[in-house]
Amino acid sequence: MRPRTLYGRYARTAYLFLLPAILFFAAFFYLPIGNVVATSFRTGPMADQWTGLGNYTQAVTDPAVQHSFLVTAGFSVMVVLGSIVLGLALALAIDQPLKGRVVFRVVLLVPYLTSVAIVGLLWRNILDPELGVLNRALMAVGLPTQQWLNTAPLLTIAAVTLWQSVGYTMVLFLAGLQGIPETYHEAARIDGADAWHRFWRISLPLLAPTTLFVSVMAVISGLQAFGQAYIITGGGPGDATDLSVFHIFNVAFRTRDFGYSSAQSVLLLIVIVAFTLIQLRAGRRSEVTY
Amino acid sequence: MRKWLLYTLLGLASLITVVPLLYMVSLSLQTEAETLSANAVLVPDSPQWGNYAELFTRAPFGDFIVNSLVVAGAITLAHLLFDPLVGYVFAKFRFPLRNTLFVALLATLMVPFFVRMIPLYVLMANMGWLNTYQGLITPFLMDAFGIFLMRQFIQPIPDDLISAARIDGASELRVYWSVILPQTRPALAVLGLFTFVFQWNEFLWPLVATSTPEMRTIPVGLTLFNQEYFTLWHLTAAGSVILFVPTAVLFVLTQRYFVRGIALTGLK
Repeated sequence: MRPRTLYGRYARTAYLFLLPAILFFAAFFYLPIGNVVATSFRTGPMADQWTGLGNYTQAVTDPAVQHSFLVTAGFSVMVVLGSIVLGLALALAIDQPLKGRVVFRVVLLVPYLTSVAIVGLLWRNILDPELGVLNRALMAVGLPTQQWLNTAPLLTIAAVTLWQSVGYTMVLFLAGLQGIPETYHEAARIDGADAWHRFWRISLPLLAPTTLFVSVMAVISGLQAFGQAYIITGGGPGDATDLSVFHIFNVAFRTRDFGYSSAQSVLLLIVIVAFTLIQLRAGRRSEVTY
Repeated sequence: MRKWLLYTLLGLASLITVVPLLYMVSLSLQTEAETLSANAVLVPDSPQWGNYAELFTRAPFGDFIVNSLVVAGAITLAHLLFDPLVGYVFAKFRFPLRNTLFVALLATLMVPFFVRMIPLYVLMANMGWLNTYQGLITPFLMDAFGIFLMRQFIQPIPDDLISAARIDGASELRVYWSVILPQTRPALAVLGLFTFVFQWNEFLWPLVATSTPEMRTIPVGLTLFNQEYFTLWHLTAAGSVILFVPTAVLFVLTQRYFVRGIALTGLK
């Protein structure tokens, strides 16, 4: 059953217009995905010897891989929680009729449009134990210096990541808040509900889809973080910030083990897809309708 | 809510955002001694504009800038050329396999870049495209996000406009070029801005796909420069400012579009 529409006769045009896209997605998405899976079953310096599931069994029992997964999971949890709490708080504040709202919005979004190279290098300088401005300032006023990147390295790079991304989360929540009909708040006001009640009973439940979207985006980007480890900590101290993509990058381009790194890529992809599906399913169940 | 509380929260958040970036500018104008002195310097004694010139003599920074402009510019042009074309087909055409192809396109959204990183590296190595412009550009010629954005925008255009143009004897390409494209200008602006800024900032692929200093883009060249000259923070900061200023200026001038674009991604 094909719908009979005005455009049925124009199928040839459609295919002609789609040709570049079909070629592009085949060559640069589908072929590479097929290759990464194929390579993950092979081993050796040229990744040309069949090993079956060898790379996968090695990966799940490898303490270094397990550790990098744990590090990445911890990092992602911090980024998700921080995004929701800070992003929502800032969105609620900026949603009020204040002077200079646009200025705040612009300022808070600037880091999001800044390269991870800038963010990483800048914070590495600020936080550096000897050369960093923060410790030099603390020393100058006689306060004890801090070694954030040694005492709480993962929390510190999560905080830097939030510094970069919180403006984006804020704008998403702001769009969600502005989608809530004003009449709901007015009705609640007439019933004598204060701002606090209105937030817990109206805004928060109705923001559920936005919160879900924010958490999905934050998990996906958290699990893929690379620059923070490469630029700020080099995965250290020790392997405390050995984020998964950074680990895969090193296995691929420093150790030159394409088979092993491909298998780890596939595993991480499975984790990301599984997480996304779980979150979307949980979100569907908790959606509120009024 | 009390106003002063809101202002305090937003003011504090803005300060935490702005002060490090201002410090970056300050750092880029300090002498090497100032960047290392025991008393942290917030405002340099006399701004060292020469730092910027020194950066160009210490590293092929001119090459970095040209590379970044060429790569981000070419990818942006490709997106502006292809994304609306594909979006138009999915918005306005019915043809066999349409849904299959649409799902195949949708599926690419689920593929993070790190999954493509290793096979693309091998592919480029086999084609001799590592360390070339085409190697940096081709993996990003279009993407599903841009195509969906354009499809959303083209869908509401009345079918009658298209039919009328066809009855007037316009060729299919002409219909696209003269009827559809002019209607999508605001969306093209959003698409172009986003694509340029994110490609200008891209880090992982240029790091993997280039191997000589004269092929590095600014984010990669700057990071490797810093690894090599770890203590020359004033020069690293100068490079960061060069990388930062174009996107910051672009953003401040067009922030409405950016905010609209981000809000669009969140509205399902």
